[in-house]
Amino acid sequence: MRLRRASLPDDAEDSAIHARYPPDGALMPESFHVDVVSPEAVVFSGEAELVTARTTEGDIGIMAGHEPTMAALATGSAEIQTGSSRVTVAVHGGFLQVFRNQVTLLSDRAEVVEGDADAAREQAQALRRAEEEALEEDDQS
Amino acid sequence: MASAELRLIRRRIRSVQSTMKITSAMELIAASRIVKAQARVEAAQPYTDKLVEVITNVGAASGGASHPLLDSRERRTAGVLVVTSDRGLAGGYNSNVIRMAERRLIELKNQRADLRLYCVGKKSNSYFRYRGYQVERSFLGVTDTPGYGDARAIANTILNDYAEEAVDSVDAYTTRYLSALTQTAVEWPLLPIEPPAAESEEGIATGYTYEPNPEAILNRLLPRYLEASVFGMLLEASASEHAARRRAMKAATEAADELTKVLSRQANQARQAEITTEISEIVGGAEALTAG
Repeated sequence: MRLRRASLPDDAEDSAIHARYPPDGALMPESFHVDVVSPEAVVFSGEAELVTARTTEGDIGIMAGHEPTMAALATGSAEIQTGSSRVTVAVHGGFLQVFRNQVTLLSDRAEVVEGDADAAREQAQALRRAEEEALEEDDQS
Repeated sequence: MASAELRLIRRRIRSVQSTMKITSAMELIAASRIVKAQARVEAAQPYTDKLVEVITNVGAASGGASHPLLDSRERRTAGVLVVTSDRGLAGGYNSNVIRMAERRLIELKNQRADLRLYCVGKKSNSYFRYRGYQVERSFLGVTDTPGYGDARAIANTILNDYAEEAVDSVDAYTTRYLSALTQTAVEWPLLPIEPPAAESEEGIATGYTYEPNPEAILNRLLPRYLEASVFGMLLEASASEHAARRRAMKAATEAADELTKVLSRQANQARQAEITTEISEIVGGAEALTAG
């Protein structure tokens, strides 16, 4: 019996590389889908090239083709880089999942923030305070 | 001068009509709130879906991880959470849930299990208190427009009790919003958490990298899952409440309309009878004069 060769035609592999690194030398980052979901709404949904977020273990940066990851998020900002624009999201707790080139940020409290990372961090702290106050009230009642 | 009967009927018509104004206003309000409540149910769906996906993946990747919240243990104390509204005037909405929950409570009593009752909404709270049940904790003022914070407070309460082994299982009795026309009272098991089953082998990611580790993730994930379940439950209950109220108020408005018709017919008859009497009196009087 003849073994079938399971390989791509010679030029297919080349073209895959060329799609990633165009011949003119410019590095074209691939994009992937990002969802930021809170219980009350889908906060952000779209394509991105880079996502940075703060996990309980430290900051994490994710680009296309990242291995499947599950991380617990800390209170802080998450940045989503899309082409030339950048979306900053204030996040308090939750999870980050990378699976099949899709990034999902799940958080009880997430908000898109106008402005830079510092503003987002402040907003995230505000979200945390709001939650702590709510819990305190709850304990008293 | 209008007779006593006519006056009574007219007074009833006025009363029925002013009630009708109230019921039709409530119907309109409920109708507009269903739309909002339904939108909130839908808005919460992606979060729950994603959470289920994540739990399924983590569960599969960690090879059937065990966690206190997932393990069922021997039931000595049964927790029962009843979700009703704060206000009445919603047809059978509250009584359906309460009846179902009470049947279960009696069953548990016969099995000699200890009970721990949690009530959401004034209606269940006052019903069970009046009948001598001990209500462990009640949450009032949340069912109209439930927020995630409310869901979290409820989830935290039952999680704490579960962790302290004050309860060994928690079932919720609530109303599911199946469609605008159908809402049914259901039993909804909350604890121990029934892990959502993986739909297909293909969807499972095995080579996950965990930050920090699977146990810590699961520890944080499962309470969130419970909160999301409770939140979804409250939202559906709220949408059901508004739908039930709209239906009840629509029926009441129609009944009032019908009653107005019947009453005005009676009023017309009474008025006609009065006129006839008056004419025959005049005719009788005139005849008496000519005859004399």
